[in-house]
Amino acid sequence: MRSTWRRMWIGAWMSGLAVLISCAPAKQEVVFWQFWPVEVVQPLIDKFEKENPGLDVRMEQLTWQSGLEKITAAVAAGNAPDLCELGSTWMPRMLAAGQLVDWSAGVADLKSGLRGWELCAVGDALYGLPWVMGTRALFYNKTLFARAGLDSTRPPETWKELEEAAQKIQRLGGQVRGYGVQAGERYVLFKKFMPFAWGNGGRILSDDLRSSEIDSPQNREALDFYLGLRKVGLMERQDVLDRMFKSGQLGLQISGAWLVRSIPKDAPGLRYGVALVPRPDSERGTHASFAGGEVLVSFQQSKRKQAALQLARFLVRPDNALALAMAVQTVQPATLGADTTAYYRGNPEQLVMIRQFETAVPTPNHPAWVDMEEAIEDEVEQALHDRKSSAQALADAHRRLTELLAKGGR
Amino acid sequence: MRAQSPATSWGLLSPWIVAFALFGLYPFAFSLWASVTDYSPIRAGTQFVGLANYGRALADPAFWTALANTAFFVVGTIPFTTALALGLALAVQPAFPGRTFFRVGFFVPSVVSVVVLSLIFKGLYAGQGPVNAALRALGLSAPDWLLDPETALPAIMAMDVWSASGYYMIIFLAGLEAIPRELYEAARLEGASAWDRFTRITLPLLRPTLLFVLVVNTVRSLQIFAEVFVMTRGGPLHRTTTVVYYLYEQAFYRFDLGYASAVAYLLFAVTLGLAWAQMRLVRSEEPTR
Amino acid sequence: MSGTLRRWIWLGPLLATMLFPFAWMTAVSLAPVADLSLGLPASGGLTLEHYRALFRTAAVSRYLVNSGVVALLVVGLNVATAAMVGYVLGRRRVPGERLWTLGIVATLMLPKQVLMIPLYLVLARLHLLDTYAALVLPFAVDAFSIFLVRQYVSGIPLELEEAARVDGASDWRVFRSVILPLLKPVLAVVAIQSFLTNWNSFLFPLIFVDSDRLRTLPVGLALLSQTEHSVDWSFLMAGSTVASIPVLAVFLVFQRQILSGLLAGAEK
Repeated sequence: MRSTWRRMWIGAWMSGLAVLISCAPAKQEVVFWQFWPVEVVQPLIDKFEKENPGLDVRMEQLTWQSGLEKITAAVAAGNAPDLCELGSTWMPRMLAAGQLVDWSAGVADLKSGLRGWELCAVGDALYGLPWVMGTRALFYNKTLFARAGLDSTRPPETWKELEEAAQKIQRLGGQVRGYGVQAGERYVLFKKFMPFAWGNGGRILSDDLRSSEIDSPQNREALDFYLGLRKVGLMERQDVLDRMFKSGQLGLQISGAWLVRSIPKDAPGLRYGVALVPRPDSERGTHASFAGGEVLVSFQQSKRKQAALQLARFLVRPDNALALAMAVQTVQPATLGADTTAYYRGNPEQLVMIRQFETAVPTPNHPAWVDMEEAIEDEVEQALHDRKSSAQALADAHRRLTELLAKGGR
Repeated sequence: MRAQSPATSWGLLSPWIVAFALFGLYPFAFSLWASVTDYSPIRAGTQFVGLANYGRALADPAFWTALANTAFFVVGTIPFTTALALGLALAVQPAFPGRTFFRVGFFVPSVVSVVVLSLIFKGLYAGQGPVNAALRALGLSAPDWLLDPETALPAIMAMDVWSASGYYMIIFLAGLEAIPRELYEAARLEGASAWDRFTRITLPLLRPTLLFVLVVNTVRSLQIFAEVFVMTRGGPLHRTTTVVYYLYEQAFYRFDLGYASAVAYLLFAVTLGLAWAQMRLVRSEEPTR
Repeated sequence: MSGTLRRWIWLGPLLATMLFPFAWMTAVSLAPVADLSLGLPASGGLTLEHYRALFRTAAVSRYLVNSGVVALLVVGLNVATAAMVGYVLGRRRVPGERLWTLGIVATLMLPKQVLMIPLYLVLARLHLLDTYAALVLPFAVDAFSIFLVRQYVSGIPLELEEAARVDGASDWRVFRSVILPLLKPVLAVVAIQSFLTNWNSFLFPLIFVDSDRLRTLPVGLALLSQTEHSVDWSFLMAGSTVASIPVLAVFLVFQRQILSGLLAGAEK
């Protein structure tokens, strides 16, 4: 009676729906996980769907905190997204695990147009597409420069100039400090110290990734210099250093593009500049810095590999990568020649970041890289807290790296 | 008198047994299995490695540092949290004007998510932050709490005591409510002092609740993670690395879930031992006569 | 009276200290953005713009609803399971009860960072990922609540039950009419703590659910206020203040129940 009617009614609806669904063209759905805000990426997705009518993109935003856990769990359960954004720190392990799709053939034509390939390469094979890059550069406060009698149009280019500038600013007294030394935060310290080591010609591993080269005169010199900067500045956490810089109390520090993004909002009146990381001497060394970035990858378990590659190629197109970089401002496109665009020509601070890429050094692509980075940060931190001499710290780092290399990096 | 029917008991329990088996037992068993393999969530091809993971943990000084930090944390917070929670519960149990206001107020610290709380405290503990401003006003030393290897862990511990007390306060409140008023009346008629009433009536009858708070708080404290992750990332100089933070790094930065599971089971053994010891110590199995 | 005054005098400052960080959070959420929020939220007046921004984001109301629905379901299930299982264990009605209790408590002893992946695997195999079920079912049986009720029950005198049974009442009647009313205080605590834990839960909702339409508040807030290297303080604090309100409301409602024990009589 009543229930029979109800069943018929439901049945009718279901058949209607089935007809509707089957009439719609079969669209392929590509699942894409990434970290940037929805309002920034969605326009790009919409554009892609318009250019590729047979493809539907299901984009989900991940949190920086715990996003990696989510990706890991998904991969473990065979539920990985078709296309995924990964940070450069996680790449060595992912590459070693062999879960990524080999894109060497599919992206060969893009090689000459992008930078950052070392982030996704194993030998000659390529397992990802570099999307955006991030680095660190020298931030300096022009007002404090002027107060200290320095030329605010000429940021320090050598270690000596850096030290002198920091010293003069430090002498201004009060709340003002010269140089902001990073206090030993995990995953951060490394990026603030190594530029000096790299700039001095120092290395971490040999080219073939078989032996440690961390205990070298160049690195020792760099570490001594870094430790010495404490005398003309202060030691603090990154967020505190950034805040001090924004409130005009810090003369110099190495920081990243997020500062360029937040200064107009938090400290609109601040007169500051960005410059390349100083080199040891005008005659030797380089303006080295840390090279990191975000890479697009696809997983072996994906059932839409072709579509994923299509989407990836779309996203790294110069105009699209530029759109992302312009919107978030904390990274720059991996596109070569991005510095010639109008946006960057009109944004000197961001432009310096791109220039800095040219002399930025990527971290070794060794599977045990996370352990190695930790070892180096540990030892440098010990030296920063005066528990070890710089020589001892580097010797110990060398010992630990050698042990890690011997284990073969699982 | 009708016998207590076991059938009803099992009947009441059955759906929960299923849910428990799926979501409680299976992950447990999986982790036990993972701990004797080299299982990695991102790599195919898992191999049995016997007790190698356990051996590796016990031989790793980083593990022992984490264990020592965790032990320090537990010993340094449990007594304070328990005492404070009980004290607050006793203070807000009797009816007095404004009692609800105080109850809510003391409970508020537990309301905010631990991640947001950690972010807030990160700011409060800053070298030039309000905590230090207050200390300097009182003429006390004001170290950079989260940056100084000596003060980082105590700072996190203080935050934990602060945020957990209100939470356990309400548990003690429920326990206090179960104590029959007549006992207090009778004792007062016999001339027992407030202290006597507390030690002879309240404490013994509060035993099951006290045991609960101790065990649960210990289990939770042994697993401290989010605060460390947000505020110090295990630093400075590994002084705030707890066991769970250590295994998190193994599981998700090295993708070595087999090893992380072994570490988790070592922690489990410690937790079980402690809980059992507490149960023996407080010995609250018998219902009141 | 002087007793009350004394109470206020030594409880007052304690309360102020306890409330300070919460007050801080609210102050930051009301301060203009230009204030560098890690320092004291300086002068510059109050503003509601962060709250306006919060609610202008359509997603936020959706997150609130999701969190609410899930929390209510979980609390209901928790209270029911804790009452039943806690009672059965507390009265030693099944053989090996001690072992069961230990086993249940033991599930609290493995950190969720390792349990996370197998749980995800189970949900994946049951095709429950990205559904409300994934946010509710794994948390329906809560060891903490069961243990709490068990402890409470073990402190209730047996006479009351025995009296009812002598009168010929069935097990279920005894449970419903005699035990359940006595359990009100502890079940109120279970409701409060279960709501609190679930409402603020971040890791599992993040992992088990992909779609934005199923997202809960903590995850949603994190996504909306995150930038790669910093946090949109004002937005996050406004969101967190708003997120605290339902929990406080639940607490206010249920905390009276804690006091409604059958044996409550005249106060000192």
